[in-house]
Parts: sequence; C-alpha cells; structure tokens
Amino acid sequence: MRSTAIFGGSYISKFATSALTIAEMEARKIRHDSTELWMRSIQPALWLLIFGEVFNTIRGLAPGGIPYIEFIAPGVLAQSVLFISIFYGILIVWERDFGILTKLLSTPSPRSSIVVGKALAAGVRGIFQAIVIFALALIIGVNLRLDPLDVTGVFIVVVLFAMCFASLSMVLASLLKTRDRMMGIGQAITMPLFFASNAIYPVTLMPIWLQYVAVVNPLSYVVDAMRSMLLTGDYAKLPVDIFALLLSTLVMVSIASIALKRLIE
Amino acid sequence: MNAIEVSELSKTYGQEIKAVDNISFTVDEGEVFGLLGPNGAGKTTTIKIITTLIKPSSGLVSVFGLDVLRYPQEVRQCLGYVPQAVSVDGDLSAYENLLIFSKLFYVGKRERDERIKFALDYMDLSQRADDLVKHFSGGMMRRLEIAQALVNRPRVLILDEPSIGLDPGSKKQMWKYIQKLNEEFKVTVLITTHDMMEADELCERIAIMESGKISVIGNPRDLKRSVGGEILTVKLSTNSVPSSLSARPTAVLGSLSIPPELGSIVSQEEDTLKIVTENGERAIPRIMDYFERLGYAVESVSLNRPTLDDVFMKYGKTSLERVGVYGEARTQRRAIVRHSR
Ligand SMILES: Nc1ncnc2c1ncn2[C@@H]1O[C@H](COP(=O)(O)OP(=O)(O)O)[C@@H](O)[C@H]1O
Ligand SMILES: [Mg+2]
Repeated sequence: MRSTAIFGGSYISKFATSALTIAEMEARKIRHDSTELWMRSIQPALWLLIFGEVFNTIRGLAPGGIPYIEFIAPGVLAQSVLFISIFYGILIVWERDFGILTKLLSTPSPRSSIVVGKALAAGVRGIFQAIVIFALALIIGVNLRLDPLDVTGVFIVVVLFAMCFASLSMVLASLLKTRDRMMGIGQAITMPLFFASNAIYPVTLMPIWLQYVAVVNPLSYVVDAMRSMLLTGDYAKLPVDIFALLLSTLVMVSIASIALKRLIE
Repeated sequence: MNAIEVSELSKTYGQEIKAVDNISFTVDEGEVFGLLGPNGAGKTTTIKIITTLIKPSSGLVSVFGLDVLRYPQEVRQCLGYVPQAVSVDGDLSAYENLLIFSKLFYVGKRERDERIKFALDYMDLSQRADDLVKHFSGGMMRRLEIAQALVNRPRVLILDEPSIGLDPGSKKQMWKYIQKLNEEFKVTVLITTHDMMEADELCERIAIMESGKISVIGNPRDLKRSVGGEILTVKLSTNSVPSSLSARPTAVLGSLSIPPELGSIVSQEEDTLKIVTENGERAIPRIMDYFERLGYAVESVSLNRPTLDDVFMKYGKTSLERVGVYGEARTQRRAIVRHSR
C-alpha cells in the first residue's frame, strides 16, 4: 500500500510499464539480430514442407476430410512456439550468469512484473515465429481462414502459450540453475509433449493410454484452439481451451515469480 | 543522516555457511565508504542485502531510514547499483540499455531523454550511444553501467568490485568518475573491493571484512598510522668507518643513536639500521646528512610505508602470521639507493 502512496500512479500501471519494458527489450534485440529466430524457423518449415507434403498424399489421415497439411499447420505452429518458450529459461540463466538479471531485479519494478515481462518476451519471439510459419503455410498453399478476428485470436493464443511455457522454463531454471541441465530437460520435455498431443495426428489414432496423456497435455488444448480458428471455424470448444490455457499461464507465472529469487540467491 | 545503516546483520546459507556474521556499520550521507576484504569475505552478500536482492537471516538494514525488508521498492528507488558481474546487455545499444532502465525506474517520459543524454555525456559515451554494447571494451561497459545507475539520479551509488578485470588505465579513469560524482552531486558511494590501492585512493572510510566479520572501521590514514610509523632502512658502508673507530674492527660501527626529532632506531644489525619516523620522505635527507656529518658513508636508504595491506594483516585473520609490529612483508617499498662517495 505504502508503495503506491510514495510513487504516485497506480500499481497496475507501473506493473504494466515494467512488464512491457522487458518485452520491449526483447523486441529491440530481435530488431538488432534475428538470425537465431530464423534458424529456429528451419525445423518447423521442414515439418510443414516435408512431413506435411509427404503425408498429405494419404487420404483420410486427418478427421473431417481436411487435407493433412492443413491439419498439421496449427500443430507445427504450436510446436515451434513450445520449443522457443521451453528453452527461454536458458536465456534467463545466461542473464543470471552475467549480472543482468540481478540488475533488473535491483530496479523498483516489482519482481513479478519482471517475470511477466520475461514471459511476454517469449511471447514476442513466439509471434515472430508464428508470422514466419503463417507466411510459409500461405506460400505453399495451405488453405487457412484469414479472418482478422481469427488471426488475432491465434496470436493471443501464441502469446499465452509462450508465456505459460516460458514461465515453466523459468521455474525449471530456478531449480536446475545451469544452462547444460536446462538444455537436457528441455530436450527431455519437448518431444514427449509433442508426440503425446494432437499436433501431428488426431487423438483417436493413439493407443488408449496415450489418449489419456493427450487429455492432460496443454499442447493439445493449444492446437485445438488454433485449429478451430484457422481451419474449422467451429468455436464450440474454444472457451474451454482458452480458459484452460489462461489458467495454466496464470498459475505458471505466479510460481515463476516466487521461484525466481532462488535463481539470484 | 545515515545513508545506510547496517546493524548486527547476519546471513547464513543453508545450515553451515555464515557468509555474513553479525556486522554493523553506517555510511554517512555524502561519503565514499569502502568494504575491503578478500574473496569470500561476504562483501557481495552484504551488498545484495542492502539492495534488497536477498533477505538477511537476522539484523536490521535501512537506507535513508527505510527498512529494506519493509520497503524494498522504495529502497531500490533511491539506489544505483553496479553488480560485480557485467550487467549491461550486449545485444542492445548503449542508448537502449539506458532507456530500458530509465523505464524500469519509472523516470517520466519528459525527463528520460535528457537524463539519458546527460548520463552518456557524463561518462563520455555519447559517441558510441547507438553501438551494440557487445563491441565495447571492459572499461566502457563499466562506464555504461555507472551511466545506467545515473539515469535514476540515485542518492546512493553501490558498486561491487567495480575495477575487477579492468586494465590499470581504465581503473584509474573509473576512480576519477566516481570521485567526480561524489564531489559534484554529493552522491553517497558504497564500494566493495579487494584492492588496497583502490580503497586507499577512493574511500574516506573503510571497513575491513574477512570471513563474514568486520574487524575494524576507520579512515585509511588513521588505520595505517595505527599499524606503526614509516620505517627507514639505512645501510652504512663498513669501509668508511671514521678514523676514530677504525682501531676496533670487530664492533664495526659500535652502537649508534640519532636525535629524537629524526626518529628512533628500533634495530641495528651490523651496518643496517631500522629507523621509525613520522614522515619517511622528509627524514631521508636529514638522516643521511646526520650520518655523513659524523663521517659515515651511507650506502643505501629504503623507505617502507605501511599500506592497507599491513592494516589488513593486523586486523584481518591473517594477522596471526604477522611478523613483528611493523609488518615487514608486503609493504610498499621504495628504495633510494645512493652509493658512497
Ligand atoms: N548462494 C550461495 N549459497 C551458498 N553460499 C554462498 C552463496 N553466495 C555466497 N556464498 C558464500 O558466502 C561467502 C561470502 O560470499 P560473497 O559475499 O560472495 O563474498 P565476496 O563478495 O566478499 O567475495 C563465500 O564463502 C561464498 O562461498
Ligand atoms: Mg563479491
């Protein structure tokens, strides 16, 4: 309470200023040098161009008679955002190893605003990635719905998703504390998450035990939400998907805010 | 008013490691205060508690009367902090680094540009404002870090080992900036260092810290004086013994004495005398004169001044190894050699 009194202005607007400033920092870095993000686009591009094209020849793989390449485009998009955000903690550890993180936390900005800002920064990277994949998908003729509201919705989902997993990554970073271990755990998490989701094949094709995994896999909800906006236009499940995503993002960001102090101690 | 007040502060990591062990000190407004100690002394831990980055295990710390535990944000608002490790972002330009921090310090939009420009000018970085920081030299990065702390117009500037990894030239330059800030803007400075020269050059008062404890606090001059005066080692030439004594070759020089205003002889071994005096530099010509008038030829004179090293030897744990009152080891040595005629 006292803090608002001393600084004037509302706590919320200061919180937002700080979080957006951290995200701005990321955007500026991307503007200076985006090589890394372009390199990271290669893998999803291959999924789309090779995997997608090859399996596109098999009819009936995707439900509802939609071509397979359309089916996996949202899956590939979600996967690439997952990769970017799950490794985001490595950047945090790197900033910790220098004094950058310490310095950020020595400003009057609330610790949680720095965490939210970092999560948003992962969202900024996610959006960059999403644009590249979008463009690529359109170039190779994937038939996506381009309603402005839907596209906006997809970007919001991308940002939330990136925030959720970047926060998870920051929590992991606070536990593991070294870059090598973060690399290891990142590798260990991403592939199972990817394969145990509806990203590249429908859940109905999975063995029963894997279907259960897919139900609790957040990636499934993200892909689901994206598919409904980009392909089917069927919004029946959208509120549930978004709610699940919002909730897990909120929980993850909160845990990360608490966990972050372990990283600088 | 005290800028910083630390009272009975302790910090224990885990069960065992007492990084800071019941220390107390105050930093007055406007002074340059140094925490001097070797690696692992607990300096960084102390700084991190003051900057509210970590919580103390026990004890009270306040900055301008604000308790760090109760008002962490307000405390951080009046501090400028330069951490031990590099804390500027290499992937941003110098200008951007300052811009981001002025925003995180909630510097108003109208003042922002002016302050950034001032800080860059002040630290002589205007020319490189738009260059990526990863291409900067170590000294320039340190200057940028200070500039970064300045956009906030801090009342206290806290620098953790600011000269670590800098070449002697950049080190001296940085000292000058710190002194200038302190003089021109009355910024209170708290600095940690393991470099005796740095503490001596910059600090009005220092606290000597080791193994989590502060053993002594004082101004460098007084501390050095407390170790003992300056010591002159005078070597006389044996083959120029005055004729009156040449009949007794065994007791070559005999027992010598000097007038008290020149100092006092604390030891004599054969032809080598150790003389303690208040001001060695001024005593040298007079002592040489004195002996030469008596007919001795002075072969060499060397001056040992106590340094903070000696102070450290005396008050730090390592004082156990101290040899004699005058701390013979590790003293700054200036030899003035003059051969007899
Ligand atoms: N996060 C930590 N966990 C455990 N021990 C620590 C931690 N940080 C510092 N220490 C220990 O506390 C002591 C003081 O460290 P530090 O304050 O960094 O000393 P200085 O800055 O004077 O070199 C050292 O023995 C160090 O190993
Ligand atoms: Mg240190």
